[in-house]
Amino acid sequence: MTPDILPPEPKVLYPKPVYSKDAGLLLSSRVWPTERWTARWSQPEYRKAAVQLAAILGGILVCGALIGELAKWGDLLYKMLLAAAAYTHQQLLARGIPSGLLGDPARVLAALNLTAEILWVSLKILIVVGIINLNGLWAVWWERKLSAHMQSRLGPMEAGRFHGWAQTALDSIKLLLKEDATPADADRAVHLLAPAVVIVPAILAFAPVLFGKELAAAKLDVGALYILSVSGVSVIGIIMAGWASSNKFSLLGGLRAAAQVVSYEIPRIFAVVPVLMFAGSLDLAAIDAAQQGYWLGFLPRWFVFWLPAGPIAFLLFLIASLAETNRVPFDIPEAESELVAGFMTEYSGMKWALFFLAEYAYVLLACFMMAVFFLGGGAAPLPLLSFIPSWIWMLAKAMAMMFVFMWLRWTLPRFRVDQLMDFNWKFMLPWSFVVVALAGATLAWL
Amino acid sequence: MTKEVLHKRTTASAGEAAASPAGKFDQLFVNLGPQHPSTHGVLRVGLTLEGEVITKAEPDIGYLHRGTMKLAEARSWHQCVVLTDRWDYVSAMPNNLALCLAAEKLLAVQAPDRAQSLRVIMCELNRIASHLLFLGTYGIDLGAFTPFLHAFREREMILDLYEMLCGARLTYNYIRIGGVMSDISPEWAAKAREFLTFFKPRLQEYDDLLSFNPIFLARTEEVGVIPQALAVAWGLSGPNLRGSGAAYDVRKSDPYCGYEKFDFEVPLGKTGSCWDRYYCRCLEMRQSVRIVEQALDGLPSGDLLAKGVAKNVKPPPGEAYAHVEASRGDLGIYVVSDGGPAPYRMHVRAPSFVNLAILQEILVGRKIADVVAILGSIDIVLGETDR
Amino acid sequence: MALIDHLARIGRDAWAVGKGLRVTLVSLFRPSITIQYPREKLAPEPMFRGVLLYDVERCTACGLCVKACPSACIALAPQVNEAGKRVPKAAWYAIDLGRCNWCRLCEESCPFKPKVVWHSVDYELVFFSRSEMVRCWKPGFPLLGKVHDPDKDEFRDPAEQIVIQEVPARHDEKGPRWD
Repeated sequence: MTPDILPPEPKVLYPKPVYSKDAGLLLSSRVWPTERWTARWSQPEYRKAAVQLAAILGGILVCGALIGELAKWGDLLYKMLLAAAAYTHQQLLARGIPSGLLGDPARVLAALNLTAEILWVSLKILIVVGIINLNGLWAVWWERKLSAHMQSRLGPMEAGRFHGWAQTALDSIKLLLKEDATPADADRAVHLLAPAVVIVPAILAFAPVLFGKELAAAKLDVGALYILSVSGVSVIGIIMAGWASSNKFSLLGGLRAAAQVVSYEIPRIFAVVPVLMFAGSLDLAAIDAAQQGYWLGFLPRWFVFWLPAGPIAFLLFLIASLAETNRVPFDIPEAESELVAGFMTEYSGMKWALFFLAEYAYVLLACFMMAVFFLGGGAAPLPLLSFIPSWIWMLAKAMAMMFVFMWLRWTLPRFRVDQLMDFNWKFMLPWSFVVVALAGATLAWL
Repeated sequence: MTKEVLHKRTTASAGEAAASPAGKFDQLFVNLGPQHPSTHGVLRVGLTLEGEVITKAEPDIGYLHRGTMKLAEARSWHQCVVLTDRWDYVSAMPNNLALCLAAEKLLAVQAPDRAQSLRVIMCELNRIASHLLFLGTYGIDLGAFTPFLHAFREREMILDLYEMLCGARLTYNYIRIGGVMSDISPEWAAKAREFLTFFKPRLQEYDDLLSFNPIFLARTEEVGVIPQALAVAWGLSGPNLRGSGAAYDVRKSDPYCGYEKFDFEVPLGKTGSCWDRYYCRCLEMRQSVRIVEQALDGLPSGDLLAKGVAKNVKPPPGEAYAHVEASRGDLGIYVVSDGGPAPYRMHVRAPSFVNLAILQEILVGRKIADVVAILGSIDIVLGETDR
Repeated sequence: MALIDHLARIGRDAWAVGKGLRVTLVSLFRPSITIQYPREKLAPEPMFRGVLLYDVERCTACGLCVKACPSACIALAPQVNEAGKRVPKAAWYAIDLGRCNWCRLCEESCPFKPKVVWHSVDYELVFFSRSEMVRCWKPGFPLLGKVHDPDKDEFRDPAEQIVIQEVPARHDEKGPRWD
């Protein structure tokens, strides 16, 4: 194929390609994984990333410590509020209470104490809502980074310079500014209400959650029961969302979610029963306290180690929690390859974000529940490490469980909807009965 | 035997239709596509449901029709090779090869040995790339996202190799009438070997991650079963046919480009379920690795283009049919020449088009949740279906 | 017996899931292989078929590339002298990049060495209108060509283009790089 006409020597001598600098750094050669993955520790980027990972993990622990420190100040604040109420009462008594207002001085004191209590409770609610919001930002970012690295990607890297830490915060601003689209055929009131019905129980369920040793927004004798029952309310919102969207896919997604959540609630609650039997209480603080201490001086007395019922109950609870939070492999309600986005298909903007926030709030809730019920709450894994405060252990355990959630999500495919039900009724439920029996046997033997 | 199967099929479906209580359930019509996330392109499947059970499935194709077979009549033979790139765009090398083999039959020329071996290497690498895309997207269809990006990581390396070789990553126009476009360099061969050694452990990873995952097995085993007789009756080819246990592979039955010299096996499925079709492709990737290694080891030296193939070839009047084992099955091209500079007629037997037709048969009676699993396992490329 | 089978099945499935989890965990600690595209860019291989460039100074307007193009996206007109006879110079040359197949047939048909029309390695092409897809060359125009602006009826540089390279590749100090 050599041309017949031989051209004269080119007069123009082309220089080497020059790449415009503004358009970005030009990588001279492409890097194959064959080069990247061998001798990874000799690459400065990899060493830097390892240091950064260690720093992030340390940062989480520091955050945990800060939460605990703040909690101490919280008690002081509560005392101060009560003292202020008493002081105001004294002052009022000294100056002579305006008669006819409330009459009895004791009722005045009660009213002042009630005001202090309301202030205190609203502060705690704010903290819990803050935790849920922060968790949404953190968990979405973490999930994106984790999934990216599991898939040899980098994930968000731009927003906020350092590994895209501000990505989710900016995303939420975007979601706030987005148009709130409602389908023309939708039942407007129900469509509007559904996200609220999903998110409110998620917030309420956090009331008795233990963040450290006796560190909770509300002390409830029936904490375990309360969490399990309140979190079940959200499914109504999901059905509402599916129904109100007037969309086939949404309706299918909503109904699937309802069936799934209601079914998996049963083994989930049964998986907690052994814990309640071991601890002899529904109070989360009591459950936490029952797991303190060590067998033989080094084996932690966590319920997950109470053979044989403990580990099985833990696994059942983990699986049922995955199903409850609609995550892979149980994300049938929002199976994107079948149902587009399930019940969330017709939602946009902040309404959609509320569904997302609720999902991650439930994930966090499940993680804290697993930490309290099975992983010893604030107890250290080794006696040597008991000097580290309980809230740090609690947070570390919850985050470890969240990692497991994400790890499973990015590994497993999705169940089919009938297999999901089969799995629940033919596998989970019988085993949850078995585990209760095993727990009884363990207690009898003890 | 074929007629019996067809007869049984029609009577059975008629009997079912009669037995179903008309009016008891509302018939629901669901449109899957053309913009549905798992139709792999622009395919529309009209599904008629009774509850969650499919009573009728109608694949509706043609959204990507570009009239390539007609366009070829106004192009010179060399230019037609460019058109073939656009059929099965995820594995374009076998398309090029099919047309070139047909044209070479008309011209009565044979590509030199080195070109033949290069053709084999490129087609087998493309088979790996295509099956990797299938593996990844099938994982996504069933909810597993990670295998997709893992598969694309490896596919990207093959595309890099192609870019080094011919400058294009998707529409290669590499295989030419009478030979190939460019030669491989020693660096290319080294890179290709590097890829193959990297790729073999990855195949095990896919098996760990997806193939033998119990959830994946539950979703694909005993789903979308195509019995061997039915597969033959519907004219399936490629992994879809071999998944049903029928040992038909053009590379073995009608060898071209010296495939008879290579030592490889044709993996077969047992029952013809979605999983068998899936795993057939996984095993084929292993065989392709073997073929590429053998071809690289015994690469003959010589010319790249046969002598006597002009820039404007005018084959003598006549007709020719050539078929190759493309990534999706038996790709056949029938060309007629009237002695002019352009083909008088070109017809394509596109495997995706033929394979897609069985969808209306195997979807009936399944639950709607299985549609995605079955559709994905057929592994169609709409560019080839519509042409 | 059935119980043992059941337990064995659970064990098998758990083992299979565990193997999958191992793969993702191992991948988590492997270095990522992607690049940050707008900040970092890959240099294409020398063979890469990118934007078509054309050297109007050396072209003899033989028209082989016009004949070779499968999608008829190249057009040219030779110069004509005072006597009305064509001279081996191009008066104008146009490539419709919107119809281009990036098949390299035009480059292969060019009888010159270095080629007069060839693929550079530039892969970043952005068009804002249909008329911008048509690149035009006249004597004196740069290799990248100019774009005809129908509103002002004038030729301008394809300025809104993201151009990763300012000078064509495939021609470096060592000489032409193809075949």
